[in-house]
Amino acid sequence: MIRFIIRRSLETIPVLFITSFMIYGILLIAPGGPEARFALNPRITQAQIEAFRHRWGLDQPIPIQYCRWLGACNPDGQGLGIFISNSGVPNFLPAFIGGGDNGVLHGDLGFSIRDGRPVTVAIGDRIIPTLILAGTAYVIWVTVAFLSGIIAAVRRYGWFDSFLTVFSYIGFSLPTFWLGLMLLTVFAAQLKILPAGGMWTTRDVPIFGSAEYWAFAGAKPLTAIIDLARHLILPVFTLVVVSIAGDSRFVRAAMIDSLNQDYVRTARAKGVAERSVIIKHALRNALLPIITNIGLEIPFLFTGAIVTETIFSWPGMGRGFIEATTAFDYPVLMGILVVTALLVVLANLVADVLYAVVDPRITYG
Amino acid sequence: MVEHNLGDEHAPTIEEIEGVADYEVQLESLNQWQIAWRRFKRHRLAVIGSVLFIGMCLVAILGPVIFPYNFLDIKKPDVLVFAGRPPSWVSGDFSPFLLMGETARFQRDVFTLVINGARLSLIIGVGSTVISVVIGALWGGIAGYFGGILDSVMMRIVDSLLAVPILFLILVFSRFLGRGSWVTVLLIFGFFGWLGIARLVRSLFLSLREEQFVDAARAVGVSDQRIIIRHILPNALSPIIVSATLGVAGVIVSEAFVSFLGFGVDPNTPTWGNILSNSLEFVNQGNWWWAFFPGLAIVITVLGINFMGDGLRDALDPRSRA
Amino acid sequence: MTIESTYGSRPARVGPPPSDVLLEVRGLRTYFKVLDGTVKAVDGVDFSVKRGGRLAIVGESGSGKSVTALTIMRLIDQPPGQIVAGEVWFDGRDLLTLPISELRKIRGGEIAMIFQEPMTSLNPVLTIGDQIMEAVLLHQDVAKSGARDIAIRSLTDVGIPAPERRVAQYPHELSGGMRQRVMIAMALSCNPKLLIADEPTTALDVTIQRQILELIKEIQDRTGTGLLLITHDLGVVAETVEDVVVMYAGRVVEQGTVEEVLLGARHPYTRGLLNSIPSKGKRGHRLAPIRGTVPNPFRMPPGCTFEPRCPYAWERCVQEEPALIRLGSGGASRCWIHDPSSRARLDGYDHDTEVLPT
Repeated sequence: MIRFIIRRSLETIPVLFITSFMIYGILLIAPGGPEARFALNPRITQAQIEAFRHRWGLDQPIPIQYCRWLGACNPDGQGLGIFISNSGVPNFLPAFIGGGDNGVLHGDLGFSIRDGRPVTVAIGDRIIPTLILAGTAYVIWVTVAFLSGIIAAVRRYGWFDSFLTVFSYIGFSLPTFWLGLMLLTVFAAQLKILPAGGMWTTRDVPIFGSAEYWAFAGAKPLTAIIDLARHLILPVFTLVVVSIAGDSRFVRAAMIDSLNQDYVRTARAKGVAERSVIIKHALRNALLPIITNIGLEIPFLFTGAIVTETIFSWPGMGRGFIEATTAFDYPVLMGILVVTALLVVLANLVADVLYAVVDPRITYG
Repeated sequence: MVEHNLGDEHAPTIEEIEGVADYEVQLESLNQWQIAWRRFKRHRLAVIGSVLFIGMCLVAILGPVIFPYNFLDIKKPDVLVFAGRPPSWVSGDFSPFLLMGETARFQRDVFTLVINGARLSLIIGVGSTVISVVIGALWGGIAGYFGGILDSVMMRIVDSLLAVPILFLILVFSRFLGRGSWVTVLLIFGFFGWLGIARLVRSLFLSLREEQFVDAARAVGVSDQRIIIRHILPNALSPIIVSATLGVAGVIVSEAFVSFLGFGVDPNTPTWGNILSNSLEFVNQGNWWWAFFPGLAIVITVLGINFMGDGLRDALDPRSRA
Repeated sequence: MTIESTYGSRPARVGPPPSDVLLEVRGLRTYFKVLDGTVKAVDGVDFSVKRGGRLAIVGESGSGKSVTALTIMRLIDQPPGQIVAGEVWFDGRDLLTLPISELRKIRGGEIAMIFQEPMTSLNPVLTIGDQIMEAVLLHQDVAKSGARDIAIRSLTDVGIPAPERRVAQYPHELSGGMRQRVMIAMALSCNPKLLIADEPTTALDVTIQRQILELIKEIQDRTGTGLLLITHDLGVVAETVEDVVVMYAGRVVEQGTVEEVLLGARHPYTRGLLNSIPSKGKRGHRLAPIRGTVPNPFRMPPGCTFEPRCPYAWERCVQEEPALIRLGSGGASRCWIHDPSSRARLDGYDHDTEVLPT
């Protein structure tokens, strides 16, 4: 089992490398760049722009930029010496044995070109709100989709099944951002019962994540939680509706498939109570495709977060991504993409492992 | 076991057996497409969906002819209703008859905008899906059929690309290929949408190539290329068709989203997405109809496509007993 | 033996059958409503099995034999399917009217069923032991460890080597023949009074088929369990059972002991079946299949369902559906040719046949 996990983990490393290299390459090939915003300003001389580019290493060939970003190349090196750290050791080795201290391999994600902050801080600020939003949405979505799919499958053709089918069709066809917009219009603009965006009520609550916020939360926990909840409702609902619409149908289909299998008939022929038939026999087998599917859906969660964060002004990684893309802030972009890719890969790994645990036909190692 | 011999003169001949006028056995030989068509017709939702979708296509083709949209044609703004007049059935004011209201700022008729937007939205949707399917089917088919290292490498590439959020690629490439042109957007969606189809086709081919008819074809000396195209591909077509249908819906929504973010087709030529994006700043001021109707158009189209896709799936699946 | 019949025999029975009859099916009708119409899969079937007796239901695909077996246990999916009429008397009780909680006690505990596809009839995610123990724990008053012992014993009884190891294995680790043995073990673990075997050997290799059949017979002899065997293989029938029921298009067309049916072959369908089997004696002659095909379930012939394919049919067969006629030589046959008024034809019928030594 452990061997299986290790093997799968090792397999993902090349994928991560290829992905990050591709992203980096694409970024740099595309016309325009962080210096583009200076182009329109007549007071900035060409020399200054050149200096800017040199400062950020943008005048180097792409593979070398990638190499530096990765941490396998020494930014102070010349010629072939770029592979060797200042201590004379191959740069990619860990710092404490003399390797370099730059780049992803050493935990350094660089600095934001836009505002100079370390990328790790820039991302770190954003990650928690996204996790709160995406996490809540995920839990709700999985639970509801799972339960409703099962109920619909067991009581096939019943009223719940019909209702779910209608709901799924409509929900699946709704563009997330349109739904969000309409919800905003109805609840925030017209009815004014829910906030129009943001993660906290700026008048009453300090900035989320700041020291003042935690002090506030400690002093008035209920207010803080309710405030957060009120801001969460609409974005989570938007995220969740479309996902439930799709997934519940999938769960239902998987359950129906499972219920049609011969071994379910065998179980009934043995006199097993219907509840056990459904849970112990049908559901156990239906879990296999369901788990795979749910695991694969995780990347969409992040894409969906981008939409929702934009509409609801949620200060998360999705918004950060859009802002960084617009400004061609490479380091931040790469940082976000690496983190996202890492999370996606991790999610797939967990899904694979879970699958192997649940299905005894899969051999480990 | 004891046998009874009827004697040769009573044994029916082959001709007799075949010629027997059985009661009601009708031997209509239908190929799989005809069977699928019949089943599709019976599927109520699928028919409704097709009507919706084809209806939208008709709107896209004929609409701009009947209700032409001229970007340069700006009415003198009516200062009193700068925010755009609401639909007539909401305001009660039918003297300019506004089915879907007006936009703010330039006070364009939303109905005209939506009708004209249909054209590009649908072209982008269908066109890019065609490209995606062709590329994806080829890629996945080759990988799945030949297997081995070729398969590993090809699929690793797909996996790596899949780990990159498509949005990112689109946002970046839209700069690359020139902002704002619908051709650009179409190409981008086409060239990045093939990943999912490639995965699907690859797994299909992987299992189909183990089927015995492939062995049979090989034994007779059929070339690999011919096997892929004339033997395996027709069997894999059904899931591909279903996937493609749903893909069109996906692209329509994605295009809308990308335009919404400002990276899609430029607003001079309307698509449902960029109509929505223009409406954003005014929605909070109360002009909801500007955003509502294009979105509704998307919902109806996508709903129609989904119904169709479901119907297709049931009709083409040889195991379903519809 | 037969209940429904018209030519001066006993009236139809009411109430439970005598205690030496383990299973009695009366007037069973199971219909399926599908898009194109209603399929009368089982359309008036009667038969009975004595305690410790062995009965085979024979027929081709689509004759309704499997549906009959499933109906007895009420394992039919009730949308599309519906048990329209009939009584299934088991051990003095009508199974069709029992509340489901009572029925569940009987399923697995008193009547056990094994199915055709051993590859898919076992749950792939549970161990063999788990699945056998599930049945045991449901029907017998033992603790888990006791159940495990019973499971191991059942596996030994069906001839599976190293049962202690097998108990922890999963179905995919076993071959088809072994899985079928496991199914049998599972079925017999609770000492049922009746074993229903739905084409137990069809999906297996010929050599394994023989082994499984021997196993079933041997267990039966040892435990005195009744056997209801569903099959399309006449060879299997000859070697395993005492009584035979031949089904065609949802109805019983011939009934009797093995000798009466297989040697006598009174019904034209049975006759056709037997004639179509290749054998040594027929070498050099043309094989004689039954011409035509099974009728379309939505458009059954108005009279006798076999008439379109019957070489002996005449006008009466087209117009009137024959009743099941009890025969003097034993058993029954659903064919007008046995009607006393057709005696002339019957003579011709007899002269058509020659009994060849095997």
